Amino acid sequence: MVKIHYQFKRSTPLRFLSHLDQQRLFQRAFRRANIPVAYSQGFNPHPRMSFALAMSVGLTSDAEYGEVIVSTDIDVDTFIHRMNQALPKGLEIIAAKICGEGVESLSASLYQSDYRIRIKVMPETDLNELAASVRMYLELPQILIQKRNKKGKYVQKNIRPFIESISVCADAEIDHVNVKMTLIYIEQQCVKPEQVLASFNDQIRAVFVIDPTIELHREKLLLKVDA
Amino acid sequence: MNNYIEKNILPLVTKPITYLGNEVNAVHKIPSPEMIRFAFAFPDTYEVGMSHLGMKILYGLLNEEKDVWCERVFAPWVDMEEQLRQHDLPLYGLESMLPLNVYDIVGFTLQYEMSFSNILNMLELGKITLRSALREEDEPFVMAGGPCAYNPEPLADFIDLFVIGEAEEVILKIMAAHREWKKAGGNRQDFLKRAAQIDGVYVPAFYAVSYDKQTGLITAFSPIVKEAPPTIRKQFIENLDQAYFPEKIVVSYTETVHDRISYEIFRGCGRGCRFCQAGMIYRPTREKTVPTIQAKIKALIDATGYDEVSLSSLSTGDYSEIEALIKNLVCDYADGKVSISLPSLRIDSLSIEMLEEIQKVRKTGLTLAPEAGTQRMRDVINKGVTEENLLDTVRTAFEKGWGHVKLYFMIGLPGETLTDIEGIADLGQKVVDEYFKIDREVRNKSLKVVLSTSSFVPKPFTPFQWMGQNTREEFKQKQRHLKASIKDRKISYSWHDSGVSFLEAVFARGDRRLGSVLEIAHQKGCRFDGWGECFDLQKWMDAFDEAGVDPDFYALRNRDYEEILPWDFINTGITKDFLQTEAKKAETALTTPFCPDACSNCGIMEFKKGWKCNG
Repeated sequence: MVKIHYQFKRSTPLRFLSHLDQQRLFQRAFRRANIPVAYSQGFNPHPRMSFALAMSVGLTSDAEYGEVIVSTDIDVDTFIHRMNQALPKGLEIIAAKICGEGVESLSASLYQSDYRIRIKVMPETDLNELAASVRMYLELPQILIQKRNKKGKYVQKNIRPFIESISVCADAEIDHVNVKMTLIYIEQQCVKPEQVLASFNDQIRAVFVIDPTIELHREKLLLKVDA
Repeated sequence: MNNYIEKNILPLVTKPITYLGNEVNAVHKIPSPEMIRFAFAFPDTYEVGMSHLGMKILYGLLNEEKDVWCERVFAPWVDMEEQLRQHDLPLYGLESMLPLNVYDIVGFTLQYEMSFSNILNMLELGKITLRSALREEDEPFVMAGGPCAYNPEPLADFIDLFVIGEAEEVILKIMAAHREWKKAGGNRQDFLKRAAQIDGVYVPAFYAVSYDKQTGLITAFSPIVKEAPPTIRKQFIENLDQAYFPEKIVVSYTETVHDRISYEIFRGCGRGCRFCQAGMIYRPTREKTVPTIQAKIKALIDATGYDEVSLSSLSTGDYSEIEALIKNLVCDYADGKVSISLPSLRIDSLSIEMLEEIQKVRKTGLTLAPEAGTQRMRDVINKGVTEENLLDTVRTAFEKGWGHVKLYFMIGLPGETLTDIEGIADLGQKVVDEYFKIDREVRNKSLKVVLSTSSFVPKPFTPFQWMGQNTREEFKQKQRHLKASIKDRKISYSWHDSGVSFLEAVFARGDRRLGSVLEIAHQKGCRFDGWGECFDLQKWMDAFDEAGVDPDFYALRNRDYEEILPWDFINTGITKDFLQTEAKKAETALTTPFCPDACSNCGIMEFKKGWKCNG
């Protein structure tokens, strides 16, 4: 049994995959690529594979992590090569490494996510003013949002500790802006970039038009070992 | 258009990934001016259409042709339709994302009558003129095939040409005719005249129908151009083992209705159930050989990465070498990473043994279809299943740990009485009793028996094609009676709404006069009639009213054996005499044997010279 951690990209053609779609896709790609994926024991064996994060529908990313356990040795170059032949356009493995025993699980080792967001803004939004407002927002000692907990009850959560930085810049289209955002993981918890933008709208002023046409892109995903 | 849709429309709809055509094994070609652009249209959602085997075969087959690019198009779900209409964007072929009206041919597959309104909606969304008579020279030819094409008449106004029977060979002949026509130059009529001369092609515009003013019955049906033959012979593939089957099939990203490799092991069925259209029109029975099946399944798994294969046919247990096949497949996939499923099994305990051997089944639900509640009724429909068969089967299943049994029945069958309805409840009770006979230690902890009824729809080319359907009131009464006859709390009852079945009966045995009804219903917004959340019977009744067409004339009337039926011009190889004999035998509950046991002279052996069934 060997554990392989791999890094992959997801681009526009496949950004609409759901988490489940993507799981199915990888399972089938492993089989097409003839990767000797190990199966769980039990009555209903399933392939031993997982992702560090569940990607939301619409998200593109330059840096996702996946994990697969194989039953026989395979060298990483072969793994990458065969997988990239089997994966459809829109998904690509960019790196892989064989992990030793006792390596922390991927989801436990997440550290930081860098996002680039292209989003529509209210008419006549001035970029300089917006930049100033963002600074104001970040200076808030705490930023509370309403969040449903597992029991379905609304609770308040302070998201300020999860925000490392936010900056805004112009877009080719006048009614859009690009937002760069660095968010961090604390004890496997995080905040979603859309939630940050929504809380900005609440706390400072309604600038961002949050609808399904928002374009979210993850530029970097750092693990604790990288940081 | 491509980029605009991706950015502005797809984020707003459910299942956006199904509108992009970029799946693994989807075919993308570099277009050239001489290329024939073919849009294979499935008039239902992506998830339903992508489960359909015929589409996979023809998609692969057409794309093997260098100068043909076959793409796919499905009925957009209502949210996508709304977006397309709002943005005034046309429905498009998935692979190249070109508007439907620029293709050379748009070919619909007709799997069930309740998808007819979707055809009109898709044509409209694709900006194609609905009525073939009004189509401009540069519009696509609209083609249709599949089981419902055996009575093409309700769609005669909208379809330029129909393929009657199995399309694998005919469709290539149509491609050849299209090539020659393009080279020779000519108008739409010229192409259609070429096509009409191909065996198995029906061009409705080349035929005239006349009706009796008083009774509304058909008085004559005949060709009006010399190129059109008076009868259309259905086409079938003689050597199924050698017939084309794709090595690669498109792998959907989303979960489809049948999300697995479906591999056809034989075509046709010799059981002769009298209600079953497929059992008649797909005759003769033709099998693939065990080595072919094994090799093809292996190749398909390699090309797709699927981990489940289902062996498809009309009655899987009737495959002549079923035991050898299962033994070999179990051996091929002994590592347990690929599972094999056997749908459409007959009711016998052998079936359960086979299931045990081949499937890693979670023993939750077992579905069986006795179809009728009493032995007399099962003999009327020639189902060939006895109560003993059924009880043996459920006993075996209960012994193996199953606890949930679902039984399918039809109500409204010919000559049905309330005793037959009560028989359904009795059978349910006997199943419950079987469960309690099993040792507590062995049987499943919980028991659930579900009785489910659908409302019988008489179909063309079956022995019941002359029979009137029950009225909705009769169906309701029977449903109430059945519900009242069920005494045990372990038994639950579910039924299908008879409104849909009524409409299905109208269109299954309808004629050309229904064209205007379809058009009006379409204008009223009818589509996805097979989907409970979209079906609106009232709109349809209004459409019948406005068109001045009486739906009862088609659905409820008992027809005379001498009457000219709308589909009489099609020769399926099964003679009308045979169907009539079967209808008469049904009246006295006389059964007809399974084909391999004794030939009942259905006509198929005379239909094609040299053909011999079962060997």
